[in-house]
Amino acid sequence: MNLCELLDGAVHRWPGKPALIEGAHVLTYEGLGKLVAELAVKLRTLGLPRQTLVGLRYPNGINYVALTFALWQIDAVVVPIPAECTQDEVASLAETLHLDVILAQKDPGDAEPFFDDGFLTRRQPESTAAPLPPQTAFIRFTSGTTSTRKGVVLTHASVRDRVRAANTAFQIGPQDTVMWCLPMSHHFLITIILYLSEGTTTVLTKLVVPKAYLEEAARHRATVLYATPFQYSLLAAAGPGQGLDSVRLAVSTTCGLSEEVAKAFNRAFGVPLTQALGVIELGLVSLNSEDPLGRWNSVGRPHAHEVRIVNPDETGGGDVEIRGPGLLDAYAAPWLPREKLLHDGWFRTGDMGRLDADGFLFLLGRSTAVINLAGRKVFPEEIEEVLNRHPSVLESRVFGRAHPHLGEVVEAEVVWDSDGPDPEGLRAWCRQHLAAYKIPTGLHAVEALPKTPVTGKILRAVAVA
Amino acid sequence: MYTRTIESELLEFLAREVFAPDVPLTPETNLVASGFDSMSLVRVLLFIEGRYGFWIPESEITTKSLQDARSLAALVTRMQHDS
Repeated sequence: MNLCELLDGAVHRWPGKPALIEGAHVLTYEGLGKLVAELAVKLRTLGLPRQTLVGLRYPNGINYVALTFALWQIDAVVVPIPAECTQDEVASLAETLHLDVILAQKDPGDAEPFFDDGFLTRRQPESTAAPLPPQTAFIRFTSGTTSTRKGVVLTHASVRDRVRAANTAFQIGPQDTVMWCLPMSHHFLITIILYLSEGTTTVLTKLVVPKAYLEEAARHRATVLYATPFQYSLLAAAGPGQGLDSVRLAVSTTCGLSEEVAKAFNRAFGVPLTQALGVIELGLVSLNSEDPLGRWNSVGRPHAHEVRIVNPDETGGGDVEIRGPGLLDAYAAPWLPREKLLHDGWFRTGDMGRLDADGFLFLLGRSTAVINLAGRKVFPEEIEEVLNRHPSVLESRVFGRAHPHLGEVVEAEVVWDSDGPDPEGLRAWCRQHLAAYKIPTGLHAVEALPKTPVTGKILRAVAVA
Repeated sequence: MYTRTIESELLEFLAREVFAPDVPLTPETNLVASGFDSMSLVRVLLFIEGRYGFWIPESEITTKSLQDARSLAALVTRMQHDS
C-alpha cells in the first residue's frame, strides 16, 4: 500500500475540485496530481534508492504537500524538519535518524539546486540505522510522548489506518472547506492527508491577525476550523459578526482548552469549540463532536480506539491507556518496535485522565514533565542538556510555569559556576542551539537543585491541569 | 518610556529571536509578510510581558497593531499609558 493511492483516488473522483488554496492560487485535484507527478519525475533523476530517508525542510504551502506525496511516489521516507530548527538541531536530527538527503527551501550553503525554490543536500550518515519496517512512509522526529526515545516511525499502512480512524470522528467529505493554519511539519498525517483523501478543499493560511483569517474563512465559506486554544482566543477577542456561519466544526487541539476561551468563542460566533485528543504515537483518538457545549472540557468519546484508566485514585483519575488502529510501528532512536512498547497490548500516553459514566474522556494533566507552550511541546531534558553544556553552567532544571493565556511557559533554574551568572551569554548560547520557542523565558539563578535522596536525580514538579 | 526606545527594543528582539538573520528588518517591515506566525506572536507577547510588565489583550491584536515594529511599539506605549 502507498499513501499516494489515497490522493490518486481523490484526483480520479474530484478532478476539477479545488484541493488547495493558497492566497490567490487555487490548485485543483487534477492540478495537484500533475504537480506531484512532475516532482516525482525530477526526484527520480536523483537516483535515490528505495526507502531513502529524506529530511523535508519546507514552510507550509502547496510545495510542502506536493513534495511529500512525490517523495512517497518514489518510495522515499519523509522526515519533516520544522522550519524553526537551528542548524545545530538539524544536524542532530539528521545524524540521529541517519538521513541520506535533505530537501530545503533555503540553501544551507553547500546544496545543489533541485527545482523552483528547492535545494538538495546529500549526506553520508556516520553510522547505519536499524533496518526500518518495509514500506516505511514517515518518521516524526520528536521525543515520544512518554519517553526520551526519538523518532516516531510509521508505515504507509499505519498512516492509512490512522486516516480512516480519524474520519470516523471528523466525518469530513467533499462538501467541506478546511481552514489550515498549523505548521505542517508538526501536523500532517491525520489532517492534510485525510482532507486530500476525502475531496475536501483546504485553505492554507495563517492565524496571526484574526480579522484577516476571519475574512478569508467567510470568503471561502469554510466549514471546518482547526487551530489551537491560543488562536481561538484571538478570534474570540476579534468579536462577533465576522461571518463564521458556514462553520460546522471548530476543532481545538494541541493543548487543553480553558472555559474562558470555550465560552468566549461560542458567544462570539455561535459555534462550540470541539476538543480533540491527538497523540503522535496513535493519531486522532477522539473528538468531542457529541457534546462540545455541555462537556466543553472533555476530549470526547473515542470512536475507533478503546481507552482505559489504570491505577485510578478515589476520584477515578489515573493513567490513560489506549489501543486501536494506526499505532506507531517503532521508535527510531534508540530502536524499539511496536510490540515492545505496549503494556499488555495497550499504549500508555503519559496523560492522566478519567472517564465519565457515558465514556467521555477528560484529561487531568500529565504524568511526565513535558511543557506545553501554547500547544507546542517542549521537553525539559532537551533544554537542560543544552544549558548544561554552557561552560558557566554547573546544572539546571527546566520546568513549566502556569500562564493564564498560554497554558505554560518555559522557565529554567540555573546553578552557575564560581565565575557567577552570565544570563546574556547563556541566552545567546540557547539561540544558537535551540529553536526559539524552546528558549526559557526566565533564567533564575539558584544555589542548588532539589534532588531525590537516593538516586540524586533532579526532582521534577509535574503540572496538573 | 519613549515609543522610540520601545521600538528599538522590539526591533532588536524581533531581529534576534523571531526572524532569520537574512530577513532585513526596519521599523516599517511588514511582519506577517516577512514570516511572522502565531508562535512568533506568542513569543513577542511574552517578551512584552517580561520587559514592560503587562499582557497585551487578545482584542488588541489587529492588522494595524501587528503591521510592523513601529505600530507594535505604539500599541505598547498606549497600553502603558492606559494601565
